[in-house]
Amino acid sequence: MQDKDTLTTNAKDVIDEGVEKGLSRLTPEKISKVINQVLTKETGARFKAYVETCMRCGLCADACSIFLSNDRDPRFSPAAKVKQTILEMIKKKGKVSKLFLKDAVRIAHAECNVCKRCSMYCPFGIDIAYMMLLVRRICHKLEITPLYIQDTVNSHSATMNQMWVKEDEWIDTLQWQEEDAREEFKDLRIPLDKDGADIMYSVIAPEPKFQAGLIYQAAVIMHAAGLNWTMPSTPGWDNSNMAMFTGDFEISGRIAKAHYEAAAKLHVNKIVMGECGHAFRSVYDVGNRWIGWTMPPVKLVHAIDFYHDLLTSGRIKIKEKYKKTVTLHDPCNVSRGRGLHEKAREIVNILCESFIEMTPNREHNYCCGAGGGVINCGPPWKNTRMVNNREKKEQLERTGAKVLIAPCHNCHSGLEDIIEYYGVEMEVKFFGDIIYEVMEKEIYQKRRLK
Amino acid sequence: MHSFIHFIMGPMVWISFMIFFFGVIFRFLKMFKLINEKEIFIYTYMSLKYSFRSIFAWLIPFLPVSTRKSPVFYSISYIFHLLLFLVPVCLLSHVLLIEESVQWSWFAFNDSVSDTLTLVIIFSLIFFMVRRIVVPEVKFLTKPSDFIFILIVGLPFVTGFLAFHQFFAYRWLVIAHVLSGELMLILIPFTRFSHMFMAPFTRAYTGSEFGSVRHAKDW
Amino acid sequence: MKLKQCIFIMMILLFVTAFSAYSKEDIPTADNSAFKHPQRPAAVFDHDEHNEKANLEDDCSYCHHVYENKKLIKDESSEGSSCSECHPLKSSLKNAIPLRTAFHKRCKECHFKSDKGPVLCGECHVKKAR
Repeated sequence: MQDKDTLTTNAKDVIDEGVEKGLSRLTPEKISKVINQVLTKETGARFKAYVETCMRCGLCADACSIFLSNDRDPRFSPAAKVKQTILEMIKKKGKVSKLFLKDAVRIAHAECNVCKRCSMYCPFGIDIAYMMLLVRRICHKLEITPLYIQDTVNSHSATMNQMWVKEDEWIDTLQWQEEDAREEFKDLRIPLDKDGADIMYSVIAPEPKFQAGLIYQAAVIMHAAGLNWTMPSTPGWDNSNMAMFTGDFEISGRIAKAHYEAAAKLHVNKIVMGECGHAFRSVYDVGNRWIGWTMPPVKLVHAIDFYHDLLTSGRIKIKEKYKKTVTLHDPCNVSRGRGLHEKAREIVNILCESFIEMTPNREHNYCCGAGGGVINCGPPWKNTRMVNNREKKEQLERTGAKVLIAPCHNCHSGLEDIIEYYGVEMEVKFFGDIIYEVMEKEIYQKRRLK
Repeated sequence: MHSFIHFIMGPMVWISFMIFFFGVIFRFLKMFKLINEKEIFIYTYMSLKYSFRSIFAWLIPFLPVSTRKSPVFYSISYIFHLLLFLVPVCLLSHVLLIEESVQWSWFAFNDSVSDTLTLVIIFSLIFFMVRRIVVPEVKFLTKPSDFIFILIVGLPFVTGFLAFHQFFAYRWLVIAHVLSGELMLILIPFTRFSHMFMAPFTRAYTGSEFGSVRHAKDW
Repeated sequence: MKLKQCIFIMMILLFVTAFSAYSKEDIPTADNSAFKHPQRPAAVFDHDEHNEKANLEDDCSYCHHVYENKKLIKDESSEGSSCSECHPLKSSLKNAIPLRTAFHKRCKECHFKSDKGPVLCGECHVKKAR
């Protein structure tokens, strides 16, 4: 019991400069004005139905890994998060204190991964993630978003990528990777701005910033598979979208639009994206809606889907199966968000010798604990995040696998944090890492075609 | 006295049904108006196929993982909701009263069956009440009004049970029974009881999103 | 303390009233032998006492009516025959009013009109003391 109290007070004691400074600027008038504006102008029938239909049965609690990680502390159940944030705002007609807002920022930004698992556990299918994003929208409009994630949004806004990558840096990085990869394949190219290519390959900004090797691997896979592909040299190459998670929908829409436009300018048939979950959610499910597209205007293929195609069609051949026992983490945004979990399993079975299922899995998998912009809230929130990820750690440990495949950048970083913090003996890998390791390094020939 | 009884067992029943019926229509009109004003996209994403897929999946006991996580609560809740409709609709006395006034008639349980099922309903409500006090995550979410709701649902069944057994103050029990039943009916469209007709819609929307956009199950 | 006492007294009152109501013996009832499986006890009904109270001693045909071709025949009564001779258990073309409805309507309509007598289920179908 004592432990539990110290944990929560720790979470309450987190000092986030973005939040603190933002709060100091606020006046009661501004608070109630913004809250009422969002609640009356930006919500409709859906929100009303959710708020009025919830019977407070508490069944959503078991869905939330953060609730489970905190010894079933009732304050962490999904419905409790709604009760402590948006319901209170409705009840008080927006007249809430700064102290309340500080808690609301913490709950919406650090204690909810907007993973939508709870909407699968609510008999009425109430979308609590949507309501948490609404709280974040209010926080954004009140300018009390946590500092680190706000910085990524600022970067998006100024550069159209998440990591302040400059245009020349971007091109330079691609050329550097191309040069390195030519040691393996003499004629390998990372074609920039190739008009009319079949595929536009897109990545998230952390790849050129500090994981350039992933671009290398992707180039090798593309080249070996003999594909007609390209990457844009101008803004729009980054598919990530942190604004989507801070409630800055205007910038979120701009980011998605820039991405589609990059593809449109190059007249490609489809966008293939690297192994990232939230980026997929942004361009497949969220960003398109803000700019008025029911479904994305360009065909979007997530890496899992793409690799599945390459491996089952024989464009990429396996030299020797991967030996170590692996387990698979289903990223929320591509399993619960796109149903790619079965394909992911088929890939694992093609690539690896022994596969151990993680439970729960598929649509029911627990979030990595980093998703929904939680990891992007940065160092101030890392300790509370680790505490909130205990259930995930236990889930990982139960598999006993040596290698953990996580086909998502967010998950990857979050899971590495868990492994380091709790001392789990596991190695996190992308599908790309494993494919690169076990594939035949020869160029695919269209033998079967006449 | 007789005219009062006649009123609450005659015209008042129809008035309550009308308020219930028009209340539901009113709520729907309001909802559709709001959708048309602000969230017209809902129609775009609503899919009949996936709406029904989701609703049916959730009607099958223990198919959704969530139902397997809390089997006791789910079983009781499932049976409770079923009986909440069945018992009043198929109660011999109710069927008779309707038959005598409008000549419609349908299947009715034997009195002894209804008696037992009423007890099941009452015990389910007691279970819900205890759960709200005992289970921490539910207790945290519970407001005083939640107990009032349980009371409003329970009243017609408790008074009906007592009246059937003619334990005491028979006439007053019947009057309380009739009035509390009518009260519940009138309150349904305007309170949280509206989940009776709203839940299929929230389920359907989530089911549609999960089915046609996300290609995933939602149970 | 006070609350507990109140509850205790209420419980006693409850039982006393519950059982005192059924202490009468051999209550005369209407003849329900036409029903195969009656679910409720036969309705409490003392023919002579009822008619005395209701001032019906001279007007048997008020209840014991005779219908022919769906028309009431005035001043003709049917005391000699039992209700079930005309009113079948289930409504038929010949007689649309089934026996159970006939009984209920006969009693309740009059009672409501005259503002007297029992009108609720349990006021006629009184449960016998065990």
